[in-house]
Amino acid sequence: MNANMLMIHYGELSTKGDNRKAFIACLLHNVRVALKPFGLESKGDRDHIYVYLKENDYRPVMDRLKEVSGIQRISVVMKCGPTLEEMRSSALALLKEEGVHSFKLDVKRVNKRFPLDSYGIAVDIADYILERADFAVDLHTPDAKMQITLREDACYLSCHDELGLGGYPLGMIGKVTMLLSGGIDSPVAAYALIRRGIRVECLHFASPPYTSTAVIDKLRDILACLNNYQADIKLQILPFTKLQEAIYANVPEPYCITIMRRMMIRLAVAMAKKNHALAVATGESIGQVASQTLESIGVIEEVTNFPILRPLAVEDKLGIIEKSKRIGTYDISIRPFEDCCTIFKPRRPKTKPKLDDCLEYEKRFDYELLIQECLAGVETIYYSEGKETFPK
Amino acid sequence: MIYLDSAATTLPRKEVLDCFVLAASKDYANPSSAHGFGRQAERALEEARKGLLDAFSLGKTHQALFCSGATEANNLALKGIALQYRNRGKKILVSSVEHPSVLEPAAFLAKEYGFDVVLLPVNEWGRVEPKTLEAAMDNQVILVSIMGVNNETGAVNDLRALSEIAHRYPKCYFHSDLTQAIGKVDVPYSCLDLFSYSGHKLHGIKGSGALVYKNSLRFVPVLHGGGQEFGFRSGTVSLPLCASLSLATALSLKERSVNLSFVQGLNQALVAGLDPSFVRWNSSSEGSPYVANFSLTKHKASVLVEALSREEIYVSSASACSSRTDKTSKVLLAMGKTKEDADNAIRVSFDASNTLEEVRIFVATMNRLFKEVHAR
Repeated sequence: MNANMLMIHYGELSTKGDNRKAFIACLLHNVRVALKPFGLESKGDRDHIYVYLKENDYRPVMDRLKEVSGIQRISVVMKCGPTLEEMRSSALALLKEEGVHSFKLDVKRVNKRFPLDSYGIAVDIADYILERADFAVDLHTPDAKMQITLREDACYLSCHDELGLGGYPLGMIGKVTMLLSGGIDSPVAAYALIRRGIRVECLHFASPPYTSTAVIDKLRDILACLNNYQADIKLQILPFTKLQEAIYANVPEPYCITIMRRMMIRLAVAMAKKNHALAVATGESIGQVASQTLESIGVIEEVTNFPILRPLAVEDKLGIIEKSKRIGTYDISIRPFEDCCTIFKPRRPKTKPKLDDCLEYEKRFDYELLIQECLAGVETIYYSEGKETFPK
Repeated sequence: MIYLDSAATTLPRKEVLDCFVLAASKDYANPSSAHGFGRQAERALEEARKGLLDAFSLGKTHQALFCSGATEANNLALKGIALQYRNRGKKILVSSVEHPSVLEPAAFLAKEYGFDVVLLPVNEWGRVEPKTLEAAMDNQVILVSIMGVNNETGAVNDLRALSEIAHRYPKCYFHSDLTQAIGKVDVPYSCLDLFSYSGHKLHGIKGSGALVYKNSLRFVPVLHGGGQEFGFRSGTVSLPLCASLSLATALSLKERSVNLSFVQGLNQALVAGLDPSFVRWNSSSEGSPYVANFSLTKHKASVLVEALSREEIYVSSASACSSRTDKTSKVLLAMGKTKEDADNAIRVSFDASNTLEEVRIFVATMNRLFKEVHAR
């Protein structure tokens, strides 16, 4: 095999000044973790990370790398010495391997001291190829477009590249507490955060017996999907039943959901602070349900000044569904179990709740005590590479 | 743990498991093999078959075909008979509360082969009234399939009267799914042209079952292949499963009447104990005491099943109820119950291994949960 290397192109690192080195080190670490099962060596420099395939097929390695955030593009490359002779024979060998008919050469001369300019190099190599093989040059619709990058120490040739996940390397931006219900939206929101380089820790509100314990199995399967993008995920399960029952006993029905969401945010912020997370994140999408109107969000968020991220705020439901299918969580999310938001659903939930009313209703019961009780009962589970692991 | 879901499945008896292990390790030859070792396995298989038929006292008139369970047996009964005798008529009658393994093959025959499938309505207690069948019968009917005991409600059909009506028409065969009936209620086996059941409902092993049929019947096979089981069900026969089914069947029929009166006591304790302001009964005292079905008047069935499960008490909600998917009990709807009742039904099913103490604990737990758990 001639193309025996993968070249990883960085994402939006050009906007990073002094942090660049740290970002690259972080990405290199993540790449090495992802490639550990393959036993491949890799090396990073200012512009790229190189993965040495040895005799391995590039496909599974490429597929794995496409799940690592912070990678813009991945090319399958062949490396040769920085001389015209080596470039000529390597280009011919690579094209023969690709089994194509027409080709186009795209030369990038990074080493400006090379005697020929990039056009000169392209013409020279093309002449060499056309003399020795039954290929044709086609500048508009070539079967293979070969990228030739000439550096001082070596030359890299590539006919094939694919887009990566984009975003930033995971772990560079800190971590957030993600509210995970088991529905369609929250796993997609978690994925969006991870893709951006933000580490997520998940918090689930459980209301047994109103919610089934089977929901936890569902979350386990969802986290196994997300483990492809973040190798270790912490899931915390918070017992919410008593507080929820108190809400329904004391608050008028139309306000139950609003007050419930206010309590959830209070609990989530407390958990986030405890875990040293920098923000709380939810899968809310503006306008989707009664508690997600702008009026509701305003009244709910009034309980805290802690940052709340809503990665799906303006996404269409269909777009969210499409993404959840792509990351593999859709079929898990639609399994029919109730979560804490769907039980005792009010017949007419308030879409434009008023803050004064909320404050008034919350005075009717001692929720602070119940909140402390909820927090004391939190259980923690870790998921690593699709399997439950013990706390570290 | 209190297990009150025996209509779903039962614990295999120790004798049955021992029988399985012995047959699997001693007579592991293929019964179809021509050599001596194979013939030894074949003899053991035929003994199992004879034992099964003798347990029903049908050794002279009927034949038994071993298969994987009631679903397969029902498929073969419906499709096999309908296709074999389709030149005699194109009408099939099935009760509207049959198990899906009867209803779906019937729907398949209607869709793919143009059979006229008539769903027989049931009365408010889930039984097919003989006069309903009488009115639906005509010369075109080649098969009637009516279950012995309903799996959700325990309703018992009068198979003697129903089969007698069907047999007034000489071209018509009468089939019954006896999965919840064998070893539990009294069944007039000799009146039936064919019947199906599963081993695991009577302390046998999952994956074993049989279709018992009158000697003269022929089937178009569902599984084609090496021609085992009289050519009607190809595939290497599992002697261990067949032998264990035969034993489980014989034992459960032998203990039937003793167990029945004991389970009646359990059922009565349940009916008398549950707070009547929270339940509406879907099972009648004339049904099988092994199955008790009631709808919750104020609570969600799925929530109570979960709450019971957290206390290690296991029952079924007749519907895997959820706000997101519609899983309303079709059986209860067919009995004329409201959608709310059909959505919130609980099935308690007994077994002779349950105790009166277990029923008392269940009743007390339910009555407590009715007050503790938020209503729907």
